[in-house]
Parts: sequence; C-alpha cells; structure tokens
Amino acid sequence: MTQRPPGSLSDRDFMRYSRQLLLPEVSESGQQRLFAAHIVIIGLGGLGQLAAQYLAAAGVGRLTLIDGDRIELSNLPRQLLYCEADLGLFKAEVAANKLQAAHGGLALRHHCLAFDADNAGHLLAPLLAEPHALVLDCTDNFLTRQRVNQACIERRLSLVSASVAHFQGQLFCLDGRSLAASGCYHCLFPADTRLSQSCSTSGVLGPAVGVMASMQALQALNLLLDINDGGYLHRFDAKSLHWQHAKLTRDPDCPVCSPLWS
Amino acid sequence: MISIQLNGEPLAVPEHASLAAVLHERRLDPNAFALVLNAELVPRNRWQHIRCRAGDKLELFSAVAGG
Ligand SMILES: [Zn+2]
Repeated sequence: MTQRPPGSLSDRDFMRYSRQLLLPEVSESGQQRLFAAHIVIIGLGGLGQLAAQYLAAAGVGRLTLIDGDRIELSNLPRQLLYCEADLGLFKAEVAANKLQAAHGGLALRHHCLAFDADNAGHLLAPLLAEPHALVLDCTDNFLTRQRVNQACIERRLSLVSASVAHFQGQLFCLDGRSLAASGCYHCLFPADTRLSQSCSTSGVLGPAVGVMASMQALQALNLLLDINDGGYLHRFDAKSLHWQHAKLTRDPDCPVCSPLWS
Repeated sequence: MISIQLNGEPLAVPEHASLAAVLHERRLDPNAFALVLNAELVPRNRWQHIRCRAGDKLELFSAVAGG
C-alpha cells in the first residue's frame, strides 16, 4: 500500500479538490480528515463499485474492498466500473486495480471473499485504531446485512448502509453520536423479517442503484465531515422519484444493540 | 371509528385499535415490514402496545436488501 504523506495540502491537492475545498464545511481541515479516513466497503456490486469511486475521488485516504463474487454479464448494466474484458474476474480485485490507477495517492486493500461472522473480526480490525473509520454496507442479502450490523455495533464502528431492489431504495447511517436514539439495523428489521425483493429475483434499473450509491457516498462524506450524523431511514421510490424520511427508533429489547446500554 | 392514513390512503379503524390490530385487520404479515408512525419508526415489539389516534399517518416499509 502506498499512502499520501501527512502534512499540509500540496498545490496539486488544492487544484484537484478545489471544488470541495470551496465549501466551508470541507475546507482544508475537512480535506485533511478525508485523507486520514479509512473506509471498508463490503460488497462491490452496484452500490459498492460506485460509492468506492466517489469516495476515492473525494480523496478518502484508505479503502478496503471486500467481495467474494466474480463479475458476470448481468452485472454490466449497473456496475459501470466493470467492462466486458473483466468478466469472470473478482470484483474486489478489478475494482482495486482500477481505483488505484485513477488515484495514485489512495491506499487500497482488497479481499476476494464474502464477509461473514467468522472473518468479521479480522477484516474490521484495521479500523479499530483509526479516528476516522467507517463501514459501508453495499451487500446484496439480508443475512449479510445483519452480520455487518452486528459486527459494527460490537466494535462501535459507524455504518452507512444502502440497499436497492425493484423500484425501492433505502439508506440509513448508524453513528455513535445518534445511536442511543436510532438503535441499529436489527431494531429496524429484526432477524426474522421476511423479504419480498432482491435484485436477482425482482430486477432493478441501473440508475436507481446509482441514486442509492451516490446517496450512500454522500452520507459517508457528510458523516466524516461532521455535516450530518445519521439516525434517519431514507426511502426512495424509483417510480415517482419521491423520498420519504423516518426517524429511526431504538428497540430497548434489541438483542444486538441493547448490550451497549446495559 | 376514527380516521387514520395507511400508506397515504384514508382508513377507518376502531377507536383504541393497536398498530398490531390494524395490520392484522388488513391481513398484513407483521414480519414483512417496518412500521412508521407519523414519520418515526416503531420497533416491532411495541406495535401491540401503541394505539391509533385520529389523524395518525402510518407507513409500512418493506425490507430491501439488494445491492
Ligand atoms: Zn438494535
């Protein structure tokens, strides 16, 4: 892994990031914080491949990419980082190679395996000592989402989670500053929740995935920059293009997050 | 009876009906949704303890897990 040297921004950094540096909410100190950030992206499908591009491009210093899947033909309409020549290759590896080529200062790590309860500790350990650490859940199934939630709650890691299927997207952010009120993913959707839709069974349009991935990357930057600390569920209807917002509420009996307050 | 909204549609429910009773009456699977009452989520194990009031806005959010 290469890494950007610490210290003040170079002239080239000032040019490259000028449009975000112009925002008082970012400025030089915010950009330094993005350089110092480490984000683990779990799932490099439709959501993860786009969120990763935005975060790398914004100057996030370290990305760890986790996905055990290989690139398939049916991925190409919405996973725009990949092309026909990549078919059959591991998503995490291809994404890492392409992001590294585009962003020389980015420190990248990738793991071509599926996140599970057994490898969670190993995969998330590098985040524990980092002041600006964050996990993005970009996975494609409910069980893994529960595991990611549990792993983040147990380690008190901030989580930005997006999901999309059919004509619906959902986004929420769990962070220590809002967690006592918001609770966790299991408070929202307990483990015995029955699901009706996934991308593979009910389909999805590429731009609907892109909307949710963009929102997820935006929420991640907002969180790192202290612009917004989450606590809301945002729901997108890809037919009407309407958004709905609901305040997350902690379940005091939640088996996953209630140990934090006992 | 009192008038509430369910997913934006008006609905008449018995006074003091619980959130759980409204779903049961509509034959909706309680394990398939998160329930939003007046723009705040209500944890599932609270549904039988919370009673509808006139003008309440109820929304059912089904879980979306794809990516
Ligand atoms: Zn919880």
